[in-house]
Amino acid sequence: MAPGAVIVARGRCDGSDVLAVADEALAALQRACGGAVPGQLAIPALLELTRKAWHYRMKLARVFQAQDGENAVSAWVEITPDDDGLALALSNWRVTPLTPTVTAEFAASDADEGAMLAQVAELHARLDARQAVLAAGRSSTLLEPLAVAMRDGFGHPWTDFVTLPGISHRQPMHWRLIDGVEVTVEGLSARWQARLVPVPGDGAAGGFDLYLVPVAIDTVPLGDADGSLGAAVPEGLDGVLGRDLAPALRQPINRIIANAETIRTRMAGPLADEYADYAADIAEAARHLLGLVEDLADLDAIEAPGFAPIADAIDVADAARRAAGILGVRASERGIAVEVPGEGETMPVVGEWRRVLQVLLNLLGNALRYAPEGSTVRVTVAAHGNRAAVTVADEGAGLSPQQQAKVFDKFERLGRSGDGGSGLGLYISRRLARAMGGDLTVDGAPGEGARFTLELPGG
Amino acid sequence: MNNPAFSLPEGPNDTWGVESLFGEELAAADLTQANVGPILRHLLGNEDHALFSDRIVAQVRAQIEDLAHQLALSLEQAMGHKDARKQADETAPQLAAALIASPPMLAHAHALALEAQLAERLGARLSLDAVLSPLLQALIASPDPNTAATAMALLAAQARFVQAQRRGELPLAELPGDLLHAALLTLREHGAGDDPARERIAAVLEAAIRSNFDEAVNRLGLLHRLIAGMGGGAIAALDVGHAGVALFVTALGLGAGLDRDAAMFATSEAQLPRLALALLASGAKPAAVEQQFFALHPEVTLPEGFETLSADRAAALLAGSGGYAGN
Repeated sequence: MAPGAVIVARGRCDGSDVLAVADEALAALQRACGGAVPGQLAIPALLELTRKAWHYRMKLARVFQAQDGENAVSAWVEITPDDDGLALALSNWRVTPLTPTVTAEFAASDADEGAMLAQVAELHARLDARQAVLAAGRSSTLLEPLAVAMRDGFGHPWTDFVTLPGISHRQPMHWRLIDGVEVTVEGLSARWQARLVPVPGDGAAGGFDLYLVPVAIDTVPLGDADGSLGAAVPEGLDGVLGRDLAPALRQPINRIIANAETIRTRMAGPLADEYADYAADIAEAARHLLGLVEDLADLDAIEAPGFAPIADAIDVADAARRAAGILGVRASERGIAVEVPGEGETMPVVGEWRRVLQVLLNLLGNALRYAPEGSTVRVTVAAHGNRAAVTVADEGAGLSPQQQAKVFDKFERLGRSGDGGSGLGLYISRRLARAMGGDLTVDGAPGEGARFTLELPGG
Repeated sequence: MNNPAFSLPEGPNDTWGVESLFGEELAAADLTQANVGPILRHLLGNEDHALFSDRIVAQVRAQIEDLAHQLALSLEQAMGHKDARKQADETAPQLAAALIASPPMLAHAHALALEAQLAERLGARLSLDAVLSPLLQALIASPDPNTAATAMALLAAQARFVQAQRRGELPLAELPGDLLHAALLTLREHGAGDDPARERIAAVLEAAIRSNFDEAVNRLGLLHRLIAGMGGGAIAALDVGHAGVALFVTALGLGAGLDRDAAMFATSEAQLPRLALALLASGAKPAAVEQQFFALHPEVTLPEGFETLSADRAAALLAGSGGYAGN
C-alpha cells in the first residue's frame, strides 16, 4: 500500500473477471453499470485494469474513471494479484455530476425531444421506472409484431423483446447509459435507435417513454407511422394554450429569466463561477420555454377557425431592414454579415406588418443560427408580375430535397436538438404567408446554402 | 514482403533453402534501407531540435541500455555466475536491441528524457527547482497527514529521478506496469537462450520481479495519486511554474485524458496545438493557457480566438487525433 491511502472501498475479483465481494461504494457503482455482486465486473475501466493485473501478475495502481449515469466517478485503485484472485483497494473516491451544461440541456429538451421523437418513432411504448413494459402504443406495420409481443409481455424489461448488439449486461441499466443504443429486432434486418425519455414532470422516477427510431431517419418517409402522431398537443387541449395559458405563463417565465440573469451577472454580489454558470443555464432553459410557449400560442391562433391577418399596404423592403436591425446583435456575435435592400429601395405588398415581420425574423433567425460563422446572409426583394418576393439566402450547408419536403412540417427539427428551436417556426411562418394570400418556399441545393422565399401579393 | 523470392510455392525444390535464406536477409536489408531516408530526413529537417537533439537521443539510448543491463545482470546473478557483471555485459546488448524495437518503451524513455531536459531548462529560466516545486512544498506542508506523506515520498522519488536521468539510468521498478511486463517478455524471449536450466531460472526471476513490483509507490504512481487526491484542486497543478514539470505533465495527462508520455510530448515545440487543446480540455481558462505558453514557449503567440474553444470541444479534437505512435 502506498503511503497515505485512505481506503474507501475494498473488493475481490477472481481470475475470470467476477467481482466476488465488494464494499458498498464499489458495489453501488457496479450495479449502476448494470452488474451485480457477485457477478461479472461491469465497470469498463476497472475491468481492463483487473485483467491486466491478473495477466501481468503485478500490482497495478492507477486512476480510473467511470460513470454511474448521473455522475462521473473517478478513484485511485490499487489491484494486488495473489494465488486465487485480485484484491482491490479504492481510495480518493471522487464523484462529480456530469457536466452541468449537458444536464441543463437535457432538462430543457426532454419534453421537446419527446415531441420530436413521437413524430419519427416507429414504435412507442411506456415503461415504468425499472424499464419494464407497461404498455405498447402505436407502431409502424413493420414493428407491429414487436408491439404485440410487448403488450403480451407486460411487466418484462423492454430489453427482453429486442437485441442490443454489444451489450451483455442484464437490466436494469441506468437509463442514460442505455439511451441512444442501437437495437435489432428478431426477424428484421433493419436497425433502430432506442430513445428513453423520462415521463415529463416526474423525471426518471415516473417511468419512461421508449421510442424506437429508424437509424437512418432521413431515408424513412415520415408517413409510415400512424397519422395521428403529429398532434403533440392533445386534441382536447386545442386552443387552451394560446387563449388561456400563454398569457399566464409569460409572466412567471419572464421572472425566472430576470432573476437568473441577475444571479448570472452577479448584480447582487460576488458568486462562484460554477453558480453563475448554473444561472446562465437556468436563464437559457427558461428562454427556450418562453419561445416554445410563444410558438404554441401562435400555433393556436393561426389554426383557429376564422384566423385572418389584416390586409394593409406595407413595404416589405422596409420590413426586411427592420428585421436585420433587430437581429443585428446576434449577427455580429456570430460574425455573420447581413445584406439587406438599400435604404431607398421599396417593395409594396399587401399583408399585416406584424406578421410579415414575424416571418422575416424567423427566416433570418434560422439563417443566423445555422449558417457558418463569418459567412454572409443576403436578404433581397424582387417583383414577379403582381406579386412580390423577399428571399433570405445563407451560405450554410443547405437542405437536401428530402429535407426541403419536410422542413415546413409541424415540429420538424431535421434531426437537430438542443439548440433552442421548437420545430414550429417555419410551420407557423408558412401558415401566416398562406393566410395573407402568399406562400413560403425553400430551394437551393445542399452545399449551396438554403434560400427561403416569402411571396406576397403586390401592393 | 513483396520480394518475389517469397512467392515461390513451398514444395520439393533443391534451391528453396538457399533462396529462402537469402530472401530473408534481403528483406531485412530492404527494411533497413527503406528506413534510412525517412530517419535522416527527420533528423536533418526536424524543426524541433529539442525533441531529437544528440543529447536526447543519447539519453534515450542510455536508459534503454540501462534497463537491458539490469535485466541481464539479475539473470546472471540468479544463475550464480562468479563474474556475473562480465557475463551481463555480453548478454545485455541483445536485450537492448530487442527493447529498442518496442515503440512504447522508446516513447517512455524519450518522454522521461524530455521531462528531465524541460525541468532543467525551466530551472535555468524560472529558477524552478526540478525536485521541489512550490506546489510540492505546499503539499508536504498539507494539514492532511495522508497527502503530506505521499508528497514526502514523491520528494524522495523525484530526487532519485533527477539523479537517475543525469546518469542515464531507468530503474525497472520505476516503469509503468505495462512496460515492465513488456520488458519481462523480452527477457523471456531473448535472455534465456535455448538452455533449459537458464530458462527455469529466468522464469523464477521473472515471477520474483513481478511480485515485488508495486505501481503505487514508484514515482509515476505517487504523482498520479497526488493529482487524483487533489480532485478539483488539480487545476493548480496546471501551472508549470507553480507545480513543476513532473506534477504539471501528470495533471495535464489526467485532465485531458492523455497518457502521461503523450502529455509530455505535447509540451515539445512541434506539438503546440496539442498543448493548447490539452490545457483547455483539462479545464484551464484561456488566460491560464496563455500563461503556460509563456512559461514553456515564450517565443510563441497563440492564434486569435483559441479561447472560444470549449473544454468538451478541445477534448473531442484531441481524442480524434492520432497521437504518438508509441502509445
